[in-house]
Amino acid sequence: MSIGDSMTRRAVLSVTALAGVALAMRPARGAPDLEIALAEQLFGRTPVPSGRLRLDMPPVFPNGYTVPLALDVDSPMTEADHVRTVHIVAPRNPLIRVASFHFTPRSGRARISTRIRLAEPQNVIAVAEMSDGSLLMAKTWVEVEVNGCS
Amino acid sequence: MATPAQRVRAPSTAAKGEIFEIKALITHQMETGLRRDGAGKLMPRKIINAFSCRYNGELIFSVDLHEAVAANPYLEFYARAQESGTLEFAWHEDGGAVYTTQQSLTVT
Repeated sequence: MSIGDSMTRRAVLSVTALAGVALAMRPARGAPDLEIALAEQLFGRTPVPSGRLRLDMPPVFPNGYTVPLALDVDSPMTEADHVRTVHIVAPRNPLIRVASFHFTPRSGRARISTRIRLAEPQNVIAVAEMSDGSLLMAKTWVEVEVNGCS
Repeated sequence: MATPAQRVRAPSTAAKGEIFEIKALITHQMETGLRRDGAGKLMPRKIINAFSCRYNGELIFSVDLHEAVAANPYLEFYARAQESGTLEFAWHEDGGAVYTTQQSLTVT
């Protein structure tokens, strides 16, 4: 799937509906995780929620135009074992892809800080692609008080 | 729109093997393509869509930025000091303009 495509909220809703139908067809096993379903749709593989990927954002923030975001992945960043990319997704924004950070072993650390726009309160999602092909995931709820996407 | 102005804060010296922090900022409206002007017409998207950091010519870190990155995109990231040389930074804008800056690094 082309990572460069902007993905709209309508596409997210269709994924959510799809996830809902798929889960309804299986025996109930616990609360559905819509963020995992969305990440599967975007990246083609199933991400594993992991404490190694820390996504730090303020739980409440007044200004949706410039919300601080910090992330850090616990990784030695060697040739044999490193983070390739971390994607940030804001599923309730009109355009849900936020940024993709591409690291190399010469980064030393898979850690960044930046500022993003959020349209409304939501779970912001981070998905890390590791050098062994696995996907890690983390999410954090951010309650913004002003729509930063208008 | 004012001409974007870019700047970077990184150490000028580092010990070999040391992991150091780099801060990069460019002033830019990051027009999302979702806003309307006074007449109600949609203003076209114009954002910084990519950033890269090269260390003696080798790409060590890069970012794809989309509309949800805040205006005046700010990035903090890290690099491992290996040999002396030059760090080059580039911001790519929709439409093809590229803004760059560079800084020397002495590794002891």
